[in-house]
Amino acid sequence: MSVVEAAPTQLETPDPGPRRSIGSFLRDNEIDTRMAGMILLLVVIWVAFHFLSGGTFLTPRNLWNLSVQTSSIAIMATGMVLVIVSRNIDLSVGSMVGVVGMVMAILQFEWLPSLIGLGNQWIWIITLVAGLALGALIGAFQGSIIAYVGVPSFVVTLGGLLVWRGFAWLTASGRTLAPMDANFQLLGGGSRGSLGETGSWIVGGVACIGIVALLVLGRRRRRKFGFRLRPMWLDAALGVIGCLVVLGAVWVTNSYYLPENLARAIAEERGIAWPQGGLQIPLGIPYPVLILVGVTLVMGFVANRLRFGRYIFSIGGNPEAAVLAGIKTKRTIVKTFMTMGILVGISAAVSIARLNAAVSGLGTLNELYVIAAAVVGGASLAGGIGTIPGAILGALVMQSLQSGMVSLKVSAPVQDVVLGIVLVTAVAIDTSYRRRAAQR
Amino acid sequence: MTAPSTGKPPLVEMRNMSVSFGGVHAVKDVTITLQEGEVLGVVGGNGAGKSTLIKTLSGAQKADSGEIFIDGEAVQIHSPRDAKNLGIETIYQTLALADNIDAPGNMFLGRELTSRWNTLDDSSMEAATREIMGRLNPKFQNFKTPVASLSGGQRQSVAIARAVHFNARILIMDEPTAALGPAETEQVRELIRQLQREGIGIIMISHDIHDVFDLSDRITVMLQGKLVGTVNRGEATMDEILAMIIIGKLPDEVTTKELEQLHG
Amino acid sequence: MKLLNRRFLALLAVIVMVIAACGGDDTTGSTAEGGGTTVAGGGDCTVGMSWNNYNEERWAKHDEPAMKAAIEAGGCEYISSDAGSSEEQQITDVEKLISDGADVVIILAQNTQAIKPAVEAATAEGIPVIAYDRLIEDANTFYVSFDNVLVGQLMAEVIFDLVPTGNYIIVKGNGSDANSDFLREGIESVIGDAVAAGDITICCEDYTDNWDPALAQTAVEQWLTQENNEVDAVVSENDGMATGAAAALAAQGLSDIPLSGQDADVAALNRVALGTQSVSVWKDARALGTAAGEAAVALAGGATMADVEGTAEFVYTNKESQVETVLTSILLVPIPITQDNLNLVVDANWITVEEVCAGVTAGSVAVCA
Repeated sequence: MSVVEAAPTQLETPDPGPRRSIGSFLRDNEIDTRMAGMILLLVVIWVAFHFLSGGTFLTPRNLWNLSVQTSSIAIMATGMVLVIVSRNIDLSVGSMVGVVGMVMAILQFEWLPSLIGLGNQWIWIITLVAGLALGALIGAFQGSIIAYVGVPSFVVTLGGLLVWRGFAWLTASGRTLAPMDANFQLLGGGSRGSLGETGSWIVGGVACIGIVALLVLGRRRRRKFGFRLRPMWLDAALGVIGCLVVLGAVWVTNSYYLPENLARAIAEERGIAWPQGGLQIPLGIPYPVLILVGVTLVMGFVANRLRFGRYIFSIGGNPEAAVLAGIKTKRTIVKTFMTMGILVGISAAVSIARLNAAVSGLGTLNELYVIAAAVVGGASLAGGIGTIPGAILGALVMQSLQSGMVSLKVSAPVQDVVLGIVLVTAVAIDTSYRRRAAQR
Repeated sequence: MTAPSTGKPPLVEMRNMSVSFGGVHAVKDVTITLQEGEVLGVVGGNGAGKSTLIKTLSGAQKADSGEIFIDGEAVQIHSPRDAKNLGIETIYQTLALADNIDAPGNMFLGRELTSRWNTLDDSSMEAATREIMGRLNPKFQNFKTPVASLSGGQRQSVAIARAVHFNARILIMDEPTAALGPAETEQVRELIRQLQREGIGIIMISHDIHDVFDLSDRITVMLQGKLVGTVNRGEATMDEILAMIIIGKLPDEVTTKELEQLHG
Repeated sequence: MKLLNRRFLALLAVIVMVIAACGGDDTTGSTAEGGGTTVAGGGDCTVGMSWNNYNEERWAKHDEPAMKAAIEAGGCEYISSDAGSSEEQQITDVEKLISDGADVVIILAQNTQAIKPAVEAATAEGIPVIAYDRLIEDANTFYVSFDNVLVGQLMAEVIFDLVPTGNYIIVKGNGSDANSDFLREGIESVIGDAVAAGDITICCEDYTDNWDPALAQTAVEQWLTQENNEVDAVVSENDGMATGAAAALAAQGLSDIPLSGQDADVAALNRVALGTQSVSVWKDARALGTAAGEAAVALAGGATMADVEGTAEFVYTNKESQVETVLTSILLVPIPITQDNLNLVVDANWITVEEVCAGVTAGSVAVCA
């Protein structure tokens, strides 16, 4: 706490008079500069890979694949942010994915078919719900030991990393279970796991309307309370940019057409004659990405609009203050880890659906990628700081690098080196940025 | 020695409070009272037990034995929430602010205003905070940045605003002026006088003898967990108070020689 | 609350100990369960088995039961340990097996270089060491394995037969696992000439960390994009990665492209029956376990390595140091399983007809009538 300034306080938020820099302009108008920086970084990476790969990176097909590849880590990263914000860590998520994935696999592969018949249309939803429930249970269990017994989260989840991996093996004696139920497979993308053209445009349209509505409501709310409004042109620009990005993304997914063999098979199935220029069936938004978007919205809502989220941040900022404010901190911690567990369940479902198989080594090392995503996205391991969109961007940056390097035929060991360097660099930049911001 | 009797029960009465940690008696059988509109200074050296005693009132510490009465009625204070529900607000020495959250968030921490869908109503909280700070500290403009970026004095005003806003009847202040400069200290003093006029009872822990002397109506001294005594303002000199703090002897017991020795 | 903590912890500790004690069963855990299994007649010799990582389907299902049966039939006791993929742990495990009374040690090495100190220590004490499935660069070890170079050769032969010219993807295993390179050697022996002549192009080839199926899937996905689907064959060094490759191929409607694997795991054999995988090289791990078990019994009984039946010399050249090591070895012959000879795995009770034929149209494949 800095000791008194003699002349108390320069005026904090100056009226928007002379703009000192783009940075301060953005900040005055509540636009996250760090996020903007990360988006810029992502664009640079994408453009670079596009040129280096001879023009294959920024194609609908590659971007579509990339979005699916990122999904499972990104889904978990949204939860890991909250865990890290609360001054905890979860090292067991990879092993949890393993055990939850194996249980979901064996449910749809053996147990449910013997109970209600193979190919039953309910199999996928029962399996999914069971997986989420198991994830929540494991999460709550670990959270309770952390909150009520007081064992540090590092230790509890390290133990979990070993224990759940063991259980993953025990579930099916190390067997590989494949294939998954036909409906369940859709959760993982693939040639059938996407919304199709119309559905995607509808989702895009709804998203665009949603963005505009949020901006409008935001303005209205500020006016009602007499707060300073963002300049109209800025709000309009944000709305336009937002819609362009969303609709642009939908357009990209709709530009990825079903591979010819599969299109022909569909044409045959439906008795359509094969047209001269070929049959172009747009795939649209892949289901894993749709799930990711849904998860992002929900987690963003939880973090920013619910008391639960506020409490997580306050525990991370000052645990003692949270207790003194009357917050039930232990309960909050348990719920945080339970949330992480539910997200693990979702991610495990996406993972086994995508691979169309479950192996007992499923999810190995996922915890590292998830933590890296959260941290590259701005979460501080000291607690109190982190954002949901940041984590998603972090995951996207890391996956873009990895997939891009594979395309460029960079060998696997070198890929690992690069990813490690990027991780440390990103956090170093973030740390020094934060330090400078604090000194401002 | 005792408070002027008005026929009404005291605002706060803490009777025979005892707290011990692992065999050490931090507070031993202490009884204090507080009247409406009164400032009670609680002083003592390190380890005197004053913070611990007051924490039992603010809900941050459980007492091993003793009773607390508010307006003459016995109450149970098991948590900070219980204390707040009884109209007891505390401004801790460390301020207990969450550094990563902005001023409105800290103001309403644990008591957030919610919309009818049970979501956080950040706008209402911001508006309310602007109003309160406008009265308390009109120069304060920083409503959207985390309080970590505020100066010490501004953080103090947020902590005070938080304590004052929720219709506290009893305000506990732990070392309120410790980290403040002269101008801000004067502000705090003015605030205390104003709150007194509104009938709020204030318990002030301080090691600054001058502040205590200036502001308190009565002064309670503790030494090594025990109550040395309580004097009205004007009934003892600063040296006599010092003697109570350091040697534990009441004004009518202490000798002139001992008083001289205090300044060693 | 303090008391509650302590009681809770005490209860937890008891539970953990009970599980550890009961956990022996027929899997890992050294002397605890070793002491439990009495041996028919004799029991005066002990064979110690050091697994590198028990967490894989084949060890418990195939290798261990056969090995244990052979050992016990020979009148010896079987004790084992699991190093959980840790090289350091495995050294400790080997020491413990010896101190627990093992007369001969069988090691499935996590890292062929890192295990050497343990081997040297054992040899110094006069305890014979059998290198199981994975080579240890020490002339004093008895190498029992499938000829992994042959495995690579067999899988490549099937693929090369189907695709004599065209664009190949090769999905290799873990970089630090010598087997990945043995397999690649075998593959090279089949397609090397065609590559030199330009008939075959290997567009994409890389190691895969941990033999991870998910990483293999992403790699094949990216390569297919890069090559605009103009790929004619995918050689995968094992079935796990083949699962990932198969998923990537299916997403592009390329399931007809020849794909290889090894291990003959259930999912892979099912794919062979369905036609989405061309071959899985079968190493009957039971035969390997039996061979190692029998050799162990012989060595424990005082025979020298040369005395053991069925041995041959295997010369291993370290690719970096070019140092040659001559190993006494038993190298078993793997069998490539394609749609035509699926009956072999069924008849040998390796897999059931139901498992192989799940989802297969009746009559499309010989074994799925």
